[in-house]
Amino acid sequence: MQQANRRGYRRLTYVAMSVLVAWHTFAMVIAPAPDSPVTEAARDLAQPYLTFFGLQHPWDFFAPTVGTGYRLSYVIEDAAGGKHTFRPGDRLNNLQPTAIWMKDHYNVIMTNSEKYGDAAGAAVCLEHASLNPVSVTLQEIQQDEFWPRDWLNGKRPTDAEFSEVKTLRTVTCPGR
Amino acid sequence: MIATLRNGFQRIADRIGAVWQSIWFQDGPTTPLEISRIGIGVALLVHYLFATPYLLTFWGDDGWMPRASLAEEYDAWAQSILFYLTAPWQLYVFHALFLACCVAFTLGWRTRWVKWAVLIGQISYDNRNPDMYYGVDSILACLLLILCFAPIGSALSLDRVREVRAAKLADLGAHPRRFSSPWAFACTRLMQIQMAVLFFYSAVGKVKGDQWMSGEAVWRVFASADYYNEFMLRILASNFWVVNVATYAVILIELAFPFMVWQRSSRPYLLAGAIFLHLQFALLMNLYYFSFVMMMGHMSFLFPQWLQRLGAAWKWRIGPMEMIYDGHCGFCKRSMAGFLAFDGLRQIQIRDFRTDPSDIVSDEQMKKALYLVLPDKRALPGFEAYRYVVLRVPGLWWMIPLFYIPIFSRLLGHPIYNWIAANRSRL
Repeated sequence: MQQANRRGYRRLTYVAMSVLVAWHTFAMVIAPAPDSPVTEAARDLAQPYLTFFGLQHPWDFFAPTVGTGYRLSYVIEDAAGGKHTFRPGDRLNNLQPTAIWMKDHYNVIMTNSEKYGDAAGAAVCLEHASLNPVSVTLQEIQQDEFWPRDWLNGKRPTDAEFSEVKTLRTVTCPGR
Repeated sequence: MIATLRNGFQRIADRIGAVWQSIWFQDGPTTPLEISRIGIGVALLVHYLFATPYLLTFWGDDGWMPRASLAEEYDAWAQSILFYLTAPWQLYVFHALFLACCVAFTLGWRTRWVKWAVLIGQISYDNRNPDMYYGVDSILACLLLILCFAPIGSALSLDRVREVRAAKLADLGAHPRRFSSPWAFACTRLMQIQMAVLFFYSAVGKVKGDQWMSGEAVWRVFASADYYNEFMLRILASNFWVVNVATYAVILIELAFPFMVWQRSSRPYLLAGAIFLHLQFALLMNLYYFSFVMMMGHMSFLFPQWLQRLGAAWKWRIGPMEMIYDGHCGFCKRSMAGFLAFDGLRQIQIRDFRTDPSDIVSDEQMKKALYLVLPDKRALPGFEAYRYVVLRVPGLWWMIPLFYIPIFSRLLGHPIYNWIAANRSRL
């Protein structure tokens, strides 16, 4: 009797383990699958599990295209009318893990400046209080394509001719 | 007829069951997963330790993502403990606890529950500020969840040390069985599939892109604003063929990996290729954190036999070591049990001179100190014995700073050891 119980328990454990590995494999495979009616239906089934554990990612690193990239820049106008330009990304130390988060944050400010621009501008005013800032203009520097022949001609991707500046928003510093 | 059909189905079902069993449920150790655990623990610890000065900026209510903004994108399944912490001090306490759990996770202390605490903490940070969510966070969540499923902490951990110590306290010669189970194997397989799936979709995405198919993608990476690398551009500009080779090599490795990593003969090459790829990402693109976490995921592909062979080679190189102790001394036995618990490769043999006298060290010498006898018959007493061992037993490497500080270690170590040896009957 006891042996039968043990065998039953072992079988139940085996079934439970099999169900778990099958389910998790299904979730791993379906999460990044390209959109189609079948994969979308399957993903709907796994979505709560994927979201709850943060497993959702398309794993499309640098694919299908490698973007030329863009950088955040801001111009501070001081009380005397002087202008000071900063590129916060240039100050980041890539050896520090937080650099990734900072870059992500700058990207978010650029892609959603209506939502985050005011808060970002206020933070910049605070950071550069010693300049006596009146306003901050947030800019996105979109980099253009750069090829080996450009390099061989003595140019650099960071040169002004390879970038396009787009003004995102001008924020008046709090208290001004 | 029905009986024949039933037998046929039974045979098919048995065959499927056997294949399923061989894919998922062979008996296996947790060692490859333990290496992943240690690496991921260190990565998390360093990463979040660096975030400490920015805690309120990243995850506080007055920082980049006030909870009010978060409410607009609310998803009931994306939960975070940080949703419920309002005061800054609560966030600091949470962070301190999380870091402590990362330390425990790395060391394998109370791993059974601490792994869940680390997973919950990591998910909480991710969901509290989804704008900072980055590819490596997803990879971490995937690997951590599998580690939570797995019976980790059974090797290369303080939990294992505690288990061995307890057994050795009862009998110094005891060697508790090394842990292995079908479930450990299944979880290792899950992590392998995770890595293979990741490479597969990454390769498929690249194959769809013109830049990758025309062989110029690697140039674009180094010329982009995010990964601008002047050194690489200088080399590649006049050697564009290197760009073509590197671009196609990335696709080749990523495409071959999910299909060829399963075979015993091709696995070493694919694994070496994947590690090489991630070393390039780390060194040339400054993606250290991402690359390191990926490499730790790849550790699941290490065959346990490789690790055993590595251990055996180390053991052979160092040679046998025999520690001779006083079996009448309770303190000596207790401290030996604690010390030997770190000797995972079982490099140290033991001898109680009271019951089994040594030919090399006399009983009179033994009454004064513990001795270590080396293959060349040299005998090192007391502090020198420990000093010799800690450098040669990998589980004891954490003690190296104590025993090898120039001048100070010997200056203080000898008198401390001699005092303990002289007073051992009272300890």
